[in-house]
Amino acid sequence: MRNLIAFLQRFRIFLVFAVLQILALTWYVTYLSFPRNQFLTTNNNIAIQFLEWEHDLTKHFNLSKNNSQLQWENIYWRKRQPQFMYQLSRSKVKVNDTIYEQQYTYIPAEVINSSIDRRNNYFTLNVGTAQGIKRGMGVFCQQGVVGVIHYASKHYSLVKTVLTKDINIDVNIHMKKTDLPGLLKWDGRDARYGMITGINNDLRIKKWSKVETRGGSGIFPKGIPVGKVSFTEPIEGQALWKVEIRYAADYRRLQRVYVIKNLHLEEQTALEARIPDDE
Amino acid sequence: MNVVYKHIIRFVVFAFLQALVFNQLNIGFGIHLMIQPLFIMLLPFELTVIPMMGIAFLMGLVIDIFSNTYGLNTSSLVLMAYLRPIVFKFYGPREGYDPLKEPTSQDMGSNWFTVVYSILLGLHTFWFFLLEIFEIGRLGFILQKTLLSGGLSFLLALLIQSFILNSKQKK
Repeated sequence: MRNLIAFLQRFRIFLVFAVLQILALTWYVTYLSFPRNQFLTTNNNIAIQFLEWEHDLTKHFNLSKNNSQLQWENIYWRKRQPQFMYQLSRSKVKVNDTIYEQQYTYIPAEVINSSIDRRNNYFTLNVGTAQGIKRGMGVFCQQGVVGVIHYASKHYSLVKTVLTKDINIDVNIHMKKTDLPGLLKWDGRDARYGMITGINNDLRIKKWSKVETRGGSGIFPKGIPVGKVSFTEPIEGQALWKVEIRYAADYRRLQRVYVIKNLHLEEQTALEARIPDDE
Repeated sequence: MNVVYKHIIRFVVFAFLQALVFNQLNIGFGIHLMIQPLFIMLLPFELTVIPMMGIAFLMGLVIDIFSNTYGLNTSSLVLMAYLRPIVFKFYGPREGYDPLKEPTSQDMGSNWFTVVYSILLGLHTFWFFLLEIFEIGRLGFILQKTLLSGGLSFLLALLIQSFILNSKQKK
């Protein structure tokens, strides 16, 4: 016993150091996989208050650019409104008919805290469960996809962006004859470029072909832009392409985003839960 | 008592400057400015290791909460606090440090400050990016980030020190 106390006395500095390191590293490792304790993130009340004040000061910095983007988007949708179109044949353009049913709704949100040069970048949005946000919903902006909701508290939520290590969004490389499916990843180097894995090298990929979401898992609708292929290279020893893409969105200036709510998601998951396990 | 208040104020100022100003600057090239190591560096000489690691843990916790880094800053600040007495002992004067002096560049000389602070800041930054990227195959990228961020953070630390010096002279 006395030996043990002597040992603890001698190494107490290192022991305290080890305990503190283990606490910090456990926090780091567990958080990356699943959010357990939301108090120690920007989603708690005290930190969010300061970040809101900071955002109130800095949100005007890119105001003119954001406004012109929103105006362009308005024009884009306005052009597609049926009442602004010339009707070639009557009774063809209808909005609420029995053929089309609304599957996705969108919740507008504002990014109040963001980073782009960490290994894993999370954005904080000013909407939460009070507005109907849930974990796993998709987030996109006007130019392209942003990420997936990682945690939602009552009034705020945390987005795991496409600038994280294992974001794994289903994407398609849009080609002339066919679409190539793959998974989106990020290598942590540059916020303007992402990567797609799992593309077989039996087809040649044209540079600057469009990359869009596939919409398989019900998080994103089909066809939200992700980026364009900027670089391809065969991986040695494997029948795969290494594909680098240039993101469509500029994540440094991101301010206004939309959260996607899939109205059919429950139906889809309930149906897919019926797939037998052993097949 | 005066010293305690001074360091509490410094804690708050450094934590908020880091969380609300320097974390929000996206410079590019993987540069991440860090001023919280300077706070650990400027703690008084006579403070022992265990309380210092406690303070470093708290400081890291505050910054991690604000920047969604989940323990990265905490871990690297605790490492820096653990290494500080070892590096200080190695570069210290033979008769030990004068407890009336502070570990700043104007009290201890800019040579001493440059050597000691660049070693500690380098280790802190390297540990931070090593944990953040966590891939041995990309050591070059980790080193690049460490050198760029560490160099700029060091210049920033000199700038902040000159502010502290000026405010002292005015008194």
